[in-house]
Amino acid sequence: MFKLIHNLGKYLLLMKQVFVKPDKVRYFFRQIFVEFQSLGLDSLGIVLIISIFVGAVVAIQTAYNIDSPLIPLTMVGFTTRQSIILEFSPTMISLVLAGKVGSRIASEIGTMRVTEQIDALEIMGVNPANFLIQPKVFAAVIIFPVLIVFSIGIALVGGWLACILAGIVTSNDYIEGLRFWFEPYTLTYALIKTSVFAFIITSVSGYQGYETRGGALEVGAASTKAVVYSSILIIVSNLILTQLLLA
Amino acid sequence: MIEAKIINKSFGENHVLKDLSVQFHPGRNNLIIGQSGSGKTVLMKCLVGLHDIDDGQILYNDRVFSEMSFREKKSIRKEIGMLFQGGALFDFMTVEQNIMFPLNMFGDMSPLEREKRVDFCLERVNLPKAHHLMPSELSGGMVKRVAIARAISLNPKYLFCDEPNSGLDPQTANVIDNLISEITKEYDITTIINTHDMNSVIEIGDNIAFIYKGELWWEGDKNEIMDTENEEINEFVFSSELTRKLKDWK
Repeated sequence: MFKLIHNLGKYLLLMKQVFVKPDKVRYFFRQIFVEFQSLGLDSLGIVLIISIFVGAVVAIQTAYNIDSPLIPLTMVGFTTRQSIILEFSPTMISLVLAGKVGSRIASEIGTMRVTEQIDALEIMGVNPANFLIQPKVFAAVIIFPVLIVFSIGIALVGGWLACILAGIVTSNDYIEGLRFWFEPYTLTYALIKTSVFAFIITSVSGYQGYETRGGALEVGAASTKAVVYSSILIIVSNLILTQLLLA
Repeated sequence: MIEAKIINKSFGENHVLKDLSVQFHPGRNNLIIGQSGSGKTVLMKCLVGLHDIDDGQILYNDRVFSEMSFREKKSIRKEIGMLFQGGALFDFMTVEQNIMFPLNMFGDMSPLEREKRVDFCLERVNLPKAHHLMPSELSGGMVKRVAIARAISLNPKYLFCDEPNSGLDPQTANVIDNLISEITKEYDITTIINTHDMNSVIEIGDNIAFIYKGELWWEGDKNEIMDTENEEINEFVFSSELTRKLKDWK
């Protein structure tokens, strides 16, 4: 318990260093665009593959569970849409990104720490926490919601493909279900959740990397911790946000 | 001039630096030598502000560096260049971007002037065509030379070198020693070199501080070290048969 409070204190102190005005604003914006590429665009492939298959599986499972002739087949499209928007895309893709992006951030910053690159920045008079972590946090908070919107779209297409190819529901029924009783707020809820998850992933992974001491072994350990702690915090904050935003 | 006044530094129960006072002068190669674990790296990290000292003072030309805030230290840090043991080049940047980095962050030069400065620094370390190489493509000696080029890009008043010769062959080590020494004299820099290399001590040691168990045990120059009767320093410096023969011959 003491260690948890100690680490929380260190994390908050690091965030205090991170969220100050950048030394060079022009450099900060340039770095944000670099991070859009490495955190966002480089993750498009994995997001696409997972989304299409998850969408397909959700549609098939929904159809499998609708046995009653009293329930219209349009419910397959409706339920798939709700499941994808409310939970699968924001939470599942964020967990995947915690693994991909979180480990990358922690190992990148951790390696910079053990090879004295962070010390070099500090000696030059640069605030290393601000310089290294802030652009990643801002870039992720902006680009992850874009990835999630992309994921939602692809997952719904995946569900449609599954329905058509397996002959479960007709294309018209599925699309009618997708359009039935759509609440735009569900999308807002998904994007708010994603932004919070993006902050958790980048800040926790940045902290783990920044606090690395030692050598290659410790960089690996920091990377693992970044993924584990980010994932746990995503699950916990998912519950809290759902209660706050939907209850 | 850089001065440490009665500084102490502990890590938990381990008292690393004990009431240590030492001065480092401009235009001279100031060497810190000592056994592994004697506290010389801790001393260097305290001098550049990577470690906070427990008590005492660190002064840069009478400015009390150790009592400044992070923001106040910035003005002095712009005057510091540091060569790390492993080079510490930013591995996501090319050689040119590495040297350009301090100029972009703190320099007030135009883009053309910055490019000229990078060219000058690379020529000064005899790497005139290395602009577009990545750090992973460089040899150990080249990494050190690029790190020196980066360290001198902002015309520093103070240059810190942490074991500049580690991992280098004797010939390359000599090139690096001579380069640091030339730059020191040419620009009247206060250079502090943390080293284990006895060849460096004998070649370029203008002012040598021997640290023993966290205390300043002996001070002198490269000529005085050959004649000293101090038991601990003789055990350290003349530990090999070759150096003992050299001392006897002298």
